[in-house]
Amino acid sequence: MTTAALSLAPVEQEETSTDELVAPDVPWVTIVWNDPVNLMTYVTWVFETYFGYPRSRAERLMMDVHVKGRAVVSNGPRESMERDAEALQGYGLWATFEKDE
Amino acid sequence: MARAFLRDKGRYVGLLDPTERTVLHGLMEQTRVLLSPEVESTGDTFDDLVASLGISLGGPAEATGNLGTHGGSAERADRDPALDRLLPTAHRGDDEVAAEFRRLTEEGLRQRKSRNLDVALERLSAATGDRVELDEIQAPAFLMALTDVRLLLGERMGLRTEEDADALYAAMEDLEDDDPLGYAVAWYDFLTWLQETLTHAVMGTDLGDAALDEPGAEFDDEDDDEEGPSRPGTL
Repeated sequence: MTTAALSLAPVEQEETSTDELVAPDVPWVTIVWNDPVNLMTYVTWVFETYFGYPRSRAERLMMDVHVKGRAVVSNGPRESMERDAEALQGYGLWATFEKDE
Repeated sequence: MARAFLRDKGRYVGLLDPTERTVLHGLMEQTRVLLSPEVESTGDTFDDLVASLGISLGGPAEATGNLGTHGGSAERADRDPALDRLLPTAHRGDDEVAAEFRRLTEEGLRQRKSRNLDVALERLSAATGDRVELDEIQAPAFLMALTDVRLLLGERMGLRTEEDADALYAAMEDLEDDDPLGYAVAWYDFLTWLQETLTHAVMGTDLGDAALDEPGAEFDDEDDDEEGPSRPGTL
């Protein structure tokens, strides 16, 4: 069936659909930003508690926020990133979401 | 004098004297007022969700009008800047996306933060013999409530960047004893210490009962000299 469909399709249409296939949805990311109030231990606990990350990963992400000023803490479809950003703001972290460039 | 939160038979117990409880209660109440949602919680999660949607998705003007950057610009103008620390912009670079996100999430966030503060306020009021006791559900709520109080206090003290923090602590050296800023910073430091001990307790990295004999287990408000315990690490 695939062969038949391909053979019937005009070349132009086939190219169009190929373009769509090679341009997948750009994943979105959730970012946590450095701030002078939140505690290093608390931020580690939030990453463990909310994402279920093991302590080593939670601590590494926390140190990225601390040292680099920001860290990507999750990625995926936009809806999930909005949910993560909202939840992390609930914990008092400065979380944003954006399209991963 | 306060004693650190420690695990004790499946609960988290800290000691706060009456003055400490009164001040913390007052700060939490102020934070609660600032964050208070348009619709107060009914205690029923589903009713709360419906109510918050009713407000946020609200009137026909809002539903059909320009949401984006115009949405709520009038109310944004007289918005307390501290709210931008407690409910920050969720998208940097696209005001329209940020406004839409705020419209959909702010009421719910206000309700959840208010509920956390309500739990913490109740626990402080219920303290007996200076003992503030938290169970597994209340401890995270107390942690989040402490975070929001510290964010608000920090914002009021102009604490927005690392440089602000350095400048604030440098300025402390020259403050007169009765300067209100020194008073605010002392309470801020106290809450930082308290939150640090509760975080260690819920992460299982506190020293349990052994910590009672440790010098760091009690808050030392004379730690502005070099020999005092170092401040807990902030981001």
